[in-house]
Amino acid sequence: MGLELSIFIDYGPRILVGFWLTIKIVVLAIAIGLPLGVFLALARRSRLALLRFAATAFIEVFRNTPFIIQVFLIYYVLPFYGLRLPAEQVGVLALAAFGSAYFAEVIRGGIEAMPAGQLESAHAIGMSETQAMRYVVLPQAVGVILPPLTNQMLSLIKESAILSTITVQEMTMTALRIQGETFRPFEAFIMIALLYWLLNEVVAIGMRRLERGLTRKTPRSTTLKVEGGR
Amino acid sequence: MSRDAKFLELIEITTKFDTLTALDKVSLTVAKGEVVCIIGPSGCGKSTLLRTVNWLAPPNAGTVRLEGQSVGQAPERRQTGRGIRALNTFRARMGMVFQQFNTWPHLTALENVTRAQVVVLGRSAAEAAERARAALCDVGLADKIDDWPEMLSGGQKQRLAIARALAMDPSLMLLDEPTSALDPELVSGVLAVLKSLAEKGMTMLIVTHELGFAAQVADRVVFMEAGRIVEEGPTSQDLHAPKTERLKDFLAKLTATQMPSAMAQKVVAHDPI
Amino acid sequence: MKFDISYTFDALPRLFEGALVTLQISLLGIALSLCLATGLTLVREATGWTWAHRMLAVYISFIRGTPLLVQIFLIFYVSPVIGLDIGPFLAGILAITLNSAAFVVEILRGGLASVPKGQFEAARALGLNGWVLWGKVILPQTFIASVPALVNEYTQVLKATALLSTITIVELMRVSQQIYTRNYHPVEVLTGTFLMYFVMCFAVSRAAAQLETRMKRRQA
Ligand SMILES: Nc1ncnc2c1ncn2[C@@H]1O[C@H](COP(=O)(O)OP(=O)(O)O)[C@@H](O)[C@H]1O
Ligand SMILES: [Mg+2]
Repeated sequence: MGLELSIFIDYGPRILVGFWLTIKIVVLAIAIGLPLGVFLALARRSRLALLRFAATAFIEVFRNTPFIIQVFLIYYVLPFYGLRLPAEQVGVLALAAFGSAYFAEVIRGGIEAMPAGQLESAHAIGMSETQAMRYVVLPQAVGVILPPLTNQMLSLIKESAILSTITVQEMTMTALRIQGETFRPFEAFIMIALLYWLLNEVVAIGMRRLERGLTRKTPRSTTLKVEGGR
Repeated sequence: MSRDAKFLELIEITTKFDTLTALDKVSLTVAKGEVVCIIGPSGCGKSTLLRTVNWLAPPNAGTVRLEGQSVGQAPERRQTGRGIRALNTFRARMGMVFQQFNTWPHLTALENVTRAQVVVLGRSAAEAAERARAALCDVGLADKIDDWPEMLSGGQKQRLAIARALAMDPSLMLLDEPTSALDPELVSGVLAVLKSLAEKGMTMLIVTHELGFAAQVADRVVFMEAGRIVEEGPTSQDLHAPKTERLKDFLAKLTATQMPSAMAQKVVAHDPI
Repeated sequence: MKFDISYTFDALPRLFEGALVTLQISLLGIALSLCLATGLTLVREATGWTWAHRMLAVYISFIRGTPLLVQIFLIFYVSPVIGLDIGPFLAGILAITLNSAAFVVEILRGGLASVPKGQFEAARALGLNGWVLWGKVILPQTFIASVPALVNEYTQVLKATALLSTITIVELMRVSQQIYTRNYHPVEVLTGTFLMYFVMCFAVSRAAAQLETRMKRRQA
């Protein structure tokens, strides 16, 4: 029972179509989830108790349940309340909601990791709130936030595989189909595993470059750890 | 003349944190060019008093005036609009130096000193750099201009923080235990810088435990305890002939624990930085 | 349609059974993962086998770079084809273990880093070596330092087991699917399931957070 190389050639294009959808879904989920995460992080520091509670509840609920059940629940709840969306869109929404909870924690962590004296010294010298954020807090927070933020983005790539369970035709779904048609599961799954791995490494390297570009070579003392999904 | 005598006024400042009264109707007037040292046990409200001056810690009651103009009048918080803009102008005129330095780690020494000049005072980059070089030179960091704060010793970081404040050409300096976080051998360099500032006529409010330094530099010493000013008077009288038992006790304890850095003091007077 | 909570209540007894299976599988998974990761840590830290170190690095990178779901499918679908008929349960446990171990190895690395270097020297000065040094001195301290992170890892395993529903293992997620495919009330049933997962994971992650602050305080 050897390796059937022809599978890679015959089914490669179909896998790549699924790969492209995976990328599109993740990019969209980040585009929606990141601003939502920023909002949640700020809401969690808000002066309004109700807003603070709502944001905290949202974050804790999404961080403390398996993504697969979030997906199923959203998949069934939306039509239950009359909102019929194609599976891909449901998938993007679910992934964005899931991601935003983790993004929020990363951003909050980045702001809180900053010694209070940094903001205070900026105010003491006469900087306004925006100037203090722009020139003192954010440039430092970026260095702290970017690495764990990258990890969260990578975890969204991996979690997106779970959208195959609600029939989204992304890469994992495509591989499932192919193994059903060919009975060659190893070729089908190793092919997508390698592509996920590749995507993961490419994004990780790209983000590290970006991080280095943004933070120059300042030494860093704090690192954050927030565990995303699998 | 009276304007100079009432250069900085704190009037009946009361600050509460929940149930704790950190400052209890504290009033203090500082004349132009005067150096006032604030001493007192930990937790007595020294930092809070200093942070009231530039409204970093808005009090529950009381007024702060700089050269007759109101910096803040409780209970206003001045967090928005024109209030905060006016306040920022005042803050730019008051240089503050913290116990923990609070240098900005993402900027080089030079950038630490130029950033606020450009952003807050609107100086050109060239102008700011020139002023920054002079300030760094004054504090003995001329050769550290392109270093990152992380590469500097504690004493050098604190001198960088002082340069950052000086470059704004403030009319008043607020220093909160500027040498408390330093290793004993690094204290003298920072104190020497402050001493030369005092000699140039800078108005300063300094929270410190360095009695030798206070004796040399301060015009007046203020002793605080439990949110109040307990004793206040000319340096020689306060430190050598305290009126209250409380201050006597405090000085006795402090001198007993502080001999080494009082010794370091002696070296300062002759040592260049 | 209206949310009919009676369907949630009706499902509860069976959901509890499912939750019990989830707990069992996850505990087995974390235990096996800890064993494997300890072995791998010893290989990495106590041997000079360069080739093994390289393979370990590739293994960790692969596990962390690919979706757990794909790892589960790989093991579940491929094992019978290569003549290993291990069935869904073993395949699932194997996938969870291999996945979690890659993360636990990194946790133990962190724990090991917090063991003072002097401990090695002191133990060597006493003439301790090899197994005694690691088994009696270094590993216990490594584990203790890693406890909060390991408890946290357990929540990850807990959540990960829900994916085993896709290979027909009847744990909490699968039980709820079985229920709603019969009564056609997925929203009510899934809501109950959702809350159950939340209670379990939230309790464990609270415990992890508390352990962490307590340990930080002890160090300070
Ligand atoms: N932001 C704050 N919130 C609550 N309590 C505070 C705060 N800042 C200071 N305090 C309390 O007020 C008192 C005076 O503090 P502080 O002015 O820092 O004292 P000192 O500088 O003399 O050591 C202390 O009891 C301190 O715990
Ligand atoms: Mg203080």
